[in-house]
Amino acid sequence: MRRAHLLGLGFMTPALIIVFLFFLAPVVLTAVFSFTSMSSGTGISGGAYEINEQTLRSLTDRGFPKAKSEKLGHDLYRIGEEGLGAVEADFGKAFADEIRAELSGELFEGRRDLERELKKLRSRPRSIRDLKKAADLFKRSVLNTRFESETAFLDGVGETGVELTADDQAVLVKTAYTGWSWTTANYELITSMASTWRAAKNTAFYVLLTLSFNVGFGLFLAITTFYLPKGQAAIFRAIWILPRILPPVLYVMMWKWLTWDTGFLSIFLSNFGVEPRNWMLNSDINAWVCIVLINGFVGASLGMILFSSALRAIPPSMLAASEVDGANRWQQIRHILLPQLQWPILFTTSYQTLSLLTSFDYIYLSTDGGPGRSTEVWALYTFHTALNNYGGVLQYGLGAALALVLVVIGIAASLFYLRLFKFNELVSQPRIEQ
Amino acid sequence: MRILLDQFTKTFGATTVIDKMSLDIESGEMLALLGPSGCGKSTTLFAICGIHRMNGGRLLFGERDVTHLPSQMRNVGVVFQNYALYPHMNAFDNIAFPLMIRKMAKPEIERKVLAIAELVHIEGLLKRKPAQLSGGQQQRVALARALVREPDILLLDEPLANLDAKLRLEMRSEIRRIQQETGISAVLVTHDQVEAMSMADRIAIMDQGQIVQLAAPKDMYDEPVTDFVASFLGNPPIAFLQGTVEGKTIRLENSDIVLPLDAQAAKQGNGTPIRIGVRPEHFQPEHPVKISGKISFIEEQGREELFDVTLSNGMRLRSVQANGGAFRLGDEVSWGLAADKVLTFDPSGRRI
Amino acid sequence: MSSNFRSWPMTLLLGFLSLPIIVMMVYLFVDTVTDTTAGSLIPDRFTLEHWRFLFDAPQAGRSNIWSVTLNTFIFACSTSAIVVMTSLTSGYALSRLNMPYRRLLLGGVLTLHAFPTVTLIISIFLMLQMTGLYNSLLGVILVKTALELPLGIWVMKGFYDTVPWEIEMAGLTDGASRFTVWRRLVLPQVHPGLAALGLFSFLAAWSEYILPQVLAPDGASQVLATYLQNLIKDDRAPDFNMFKSVGLFYAMPVMIIYLIFNQKLMNIYGGGTKG
Repeated sequence: MRRAHLLGLGFMTPALIIVFLFFLAPVVLTAVFSFTSMSSGTGISGGAYEINEQTLRSLTDRGFPKAKSEKLGHDLYRIGEEGLGAVEADFGKAFADEIRAELSGELFEGRRDLERELKKLRSRPRSIRDLKKAADLFKRSVLNTRFESETAFLDGVGETGVELTADDQAVLVKTAYTGWSWTTANYELITSMASTWRAAKNTAFYVLLTLSFNVGFGLFLAITTFYLPKGQAAIFRAIWILPRILPPVLYVMMWKWLTWDTGFLSIFLSNFGVEPRNWMLNSDINAWVCIVLINGFVGASLGMILFSSALRAIPPSMLAASEVDGANRWQQIRHILLPQLQWPILFTTSYQTLSLLTSFDYIYLSTDGGPGRSTEVWALYTFHTALNNYGGVLQYGLGAALALVLVVIGIAASLFYLRLFKFNELVSQPRIEQ
Repeated sequence: MRILLDQFTKTFGATTVIDKMSLDIESGEMLALLGPSGCGKSTTLFAICGIHRMNGGRLLFGERDVTHLPSQMRNVGVVFQNYALYPHMNAFDNIAFPLMIRKMAKPEIERKVLAIAELVHIEGLLKRKPAQLSGGQQQRVALARALVREPDILLLDEPLANLDAKLRLEMRSEIRRIQQETGISAVLVTHDQVEAMSMADRIAIMDQGQIVQLAAPKDMYDEPVTDFVASFLGNPPIAFLQGTVEGKTIRLENSDIVLPLDAQAAKQGNGTPIRIGVRPEHFQPEHPVKISGKISFIEEQGREELFDVTLSNGMRLRSVQANGGAFRLGDEVSWGLAADKVLTFDPSGRRI
Repeated sequence: MSSNFRSWPMTLLLGFLSLPIIVMMVYLFVDTVTDTTAGSLIPDRFTLEHWRFLFDAPQAGRSNIWSVTLNTFIFACSTSAIVVMTSLTSGYALSRLNMPYRRLLLGGVLTLHAFPTVTLIISIFLMLQMTGLYNSLLGVILVKTALELPLGIWVMKGFYDTVPWEIEMAGLTDGASRFTVWRRLVLPQVHPGLAALGLFSFLAAWSEYILPQVLAPDGASQVLATYLQNLIKDDRAPDFNMFKSVGLFYAMPVMIIYLIFNQKLMNIYGGGTKG
C-alpha cells in the first residue's frame, strides 16, 4: 500500500469509527432488536429467573399444581456447607463442626424446628437472639431470589424439595423468566394491528400533502420574490427563512400561541363572534391543516432557497430577450423560469419525500398525533411505541420492528438517489497519482 | 543537467495515452513539447515532475534514476499555467516555501529569495499577496519559486496561456533570458507554435502520444518530416495541393494544371498520388513555376497582406506579400512557386 | 427583477400570505416585555417581569436556566467542533486522496447523507443504555455529531473540490509531503467553508430537541430545547409571555448568528439540504 493510501485511510478513520458506531451498529441492532420481546418490562440486559407473589399467581393460572406452588412460596431450612461456612464465620468453628456432625443434610420446614434442634447442641450461642440468627443462616428460599441462569434457578428450586415433572418445570422456567426472549411476534403484530395500518395511511396522506405544499409554495415564493425589487425580495426571503432557522420547540410554541383556545386566533376572532376554540386540536381537519402548514412552512423555506439560487443563474439577457420577444409574465415563467427549475424540483421532491417519511419532531411537538391518533404518522407511532408511551410499557422490540421498515425504505431510497443523481459522474479520479 | 526519458509509457485505465516514448533533453537547453490538446504533452510533463506515475520506461536526471521517486524527492521546478501561487502567502513566502520545506536556515532563505527576486525583477513586490499582483508579476513569482531551489530541471506548463497578448510577448523573452542566465535545462509545454519557435532550442512535436519530430525550430520549419508537422508550424499555415506524378511533372487532381516539379516528381513512380505543401512565402508573383487562379480572400495585416488564391479545381493556395497593394478581390493572377522550397508528401503524410 | 412587469400586486399577496409568520414574530418580541394577552393587538404596559426566570431561583423540579444554557452551549460547541474536525480530514481524503475503497466510501457518505437518521433512534437509545452513556450529555453529543457528520463531510469535500489541483501539485514539486500540503497549503484555502460548517452544526445542535429529550431526559443534562418544552408541557394554564421570554432567550444566538452570517450559511443550506 502506498503512503497516500495510508494517509487517506488515516484521515478517514475518525469518521469511519463514528459512522460504524452510530450508523452501522444501530442499523444492525435495529434488525436484531426487532426479533426480541424487549420492553421496559423485560429490561434490556439479559434476563434473570425469579419467583415472586405475582409469579406464583400466574403459575396457578397456567396449570401449575397449586400444592407445589404453595410450597415454593415457603421458607425452608437446609443444613448445607454454605450455611455452615456462614455459621463458622459468625459463631466459631466449634459450633459449626457440631452442627455438621449432628444435622448435616437435614431439612426443616420451619425455623422453630431448626431452633429446637440447635438448642440441643453444646457449643450453641447463649442468647436466643444469636440462636435465631444462626438458624436464619440456613434459610433457603426461592421466593424473591434472583437466579442468573436457568440451572442455578432449577438447583434452587430443587433445594426446596419440590418435585417437578418435565411439564411443570417448563412452565415454571418460562413464568419465572424476567428477561426478553427471541420472537417473531413483532412482525405478526405489525401486519395484524389496525393501528399500524392507520399509521401507514396517515403517513402517506401526510407526505403527499406536505410535499405538494413544500414544492408548490416553495416555487411560488421563489418566483414571486424573483420578480420583486431587490429590497422587498430580501425582506420576504428573510421572513420565510425564519421557520427553517428557528429552533423547532420555539417555532411550534409560536403556533400553539396562535392556535390554542386562549391563543391569538381564538381571541382575535371572538371579536367577530367566532367562538374560541383550540384551532389546532379541535377537529381532525384542523389538526391536519396545522401539521401541513407547520411542516410546510419549514419545507417551503428550503425549497425557496434552492429554487431562488437556481433562478439567479438565469442570465438577465435571456429574460430581457424574452420580453423583447413579447412574452408576458406567465409565458416567461412557463418557458424560461420553470425549465431552469426542473432539476432542483426533482432534487427537492425526492429528498423531502424521504425526510418527511421519517420525520416526526414537528408533529410530536404540535399535535403529538392527536386528536386521538388521527395525525399519528409511522415515525411518530414508532416513537410512541418504543420511547414515549405514557400509557404503559415501552415496547422496544415492536418499536424496532416498526423502525426497521423505515430503515429499509431509507436505504432503498438513498441507493435510488445515488442512481438518480448520477453518482458515477461525481466520482472523479484524483489528479495526483501518489 | 541532462534529462533522459526512456521508453515512457502511460495508461489511464484501459487506454494507453503514451506508448514507449523516448526523449533526451540536453543539459542547459530549452526543449518545447508542442502539439494539439490531448496529444500527451501535459501527461509527459506530469510524469517528469512526478505528479503522474509512469506505467513503463525509465526517467533519468543525469545519472540518477528517478522513475519511482515521488515528486518531493525529484528536485524539479514547475511553473503551472495558472501559476498556482499560494493565495494566503505573500510573494516572499511563496518563493521561500520550497526552501522552508527543506528546513534551510532563515538568513540563507532570505538571501536566496532576494537573489532570485532580483533575477526575475520583482524585488519591490515581495510583500504583496498574489491577488495584488498582475498576471505578469504572478508569472515572475511563480518562476522565482520554481527556480529558487536550484532544480535539476525547470518545467513550464503553458506558461503564457493566461497572459494578454502584450504581456505574452514580454514574458516570452523574459523566461528565455532567465533560463539562459541560470543555464537550467527546461521543458516548455505549449500548443502555440510561435511560442515554441521563439523560445526553444529544440522542439519535440507530439501527436497522439508520439513524438513525430524532434529538431531545432528552423530545421523543423524547413524540413518537416510529415504533413502534420508542416501544417502545425507557420502562421499563416501551409497550403496543400493534391496531385499525381506524371513523368517529370505533377498533375493536380481534377484539373489540367501540370506543375513541372521534376526534382520532387523524380522521387516517385509514375501515377503515384502525391501531396504538395506550399508555404505562403513560397507562393509569390516573382517565383518561376507559374500557377493561375482567382484571389478569393484578402486579409490586411498592416505590415503585410495575406491572399487566398483559388485554383480552377477549387484548391486553394496562400500567399503573404509585403506590399501587394495592387491586387483586388476577384483578380485573376498567375503567381509562381519556389520550386526548391515546395514540400511533397506521400498519401500517408510522410515527407518524400 | 424585470421592470416590464408590475410588482405591487405580488407584494400585496406575499405580504398577506406572510401574515402568520409576521404576527408570530412580532408578538414573540412584544409579549416578552409586555403583559399583552393573546388576541389583543395593542400591547399594554411595559414590563420585564417575564424575564424573571433568568435571575430567580428555579422552582422545585426545574433546573437552573444558566446551567441549562451552559449545557446547551457545551452540547452545541462540542458537536460543532467534532463535526468540523472530523469532516476536515475525511472531506480532504474523499476529495483528493487516492485510497482503497474510495468509491465505496464516497457512496457511503452520500447514502448516509440522504439516510433518515431518526429511524435509528431506538437502537441508539438501547445502545446508550447498555454502555451507560444514557442520560449523559456526552452520549447526546456523540450521537448528534454522528448524525451531522455525513452532511459535514459532504460539504467539506465540496469546499476542498474548489481548491485548484495545481496548488497541491506545486506544493508537491516544492518538496512538501501530502500531509504538509494539506496543512500548510490547502487548509488555509478552505477557512470560509470551515467557519460555515462550524456555525451550521452549532445551530443544528443548538436547535436539536428529540435527541436530548430521548437520550438524556434527566435534569442534570437538560438543554434549552428540552427545558422550554418541559415548561410548555408542564403548565396547566400556559403563560405564553414567559414561554416566549425563555424562547427568545433560547433563539437569540440563532437569530444573531443568522443575521451576521446569512450568506455563509446559505451555501450549506443549498448544498446540504436536510428536512
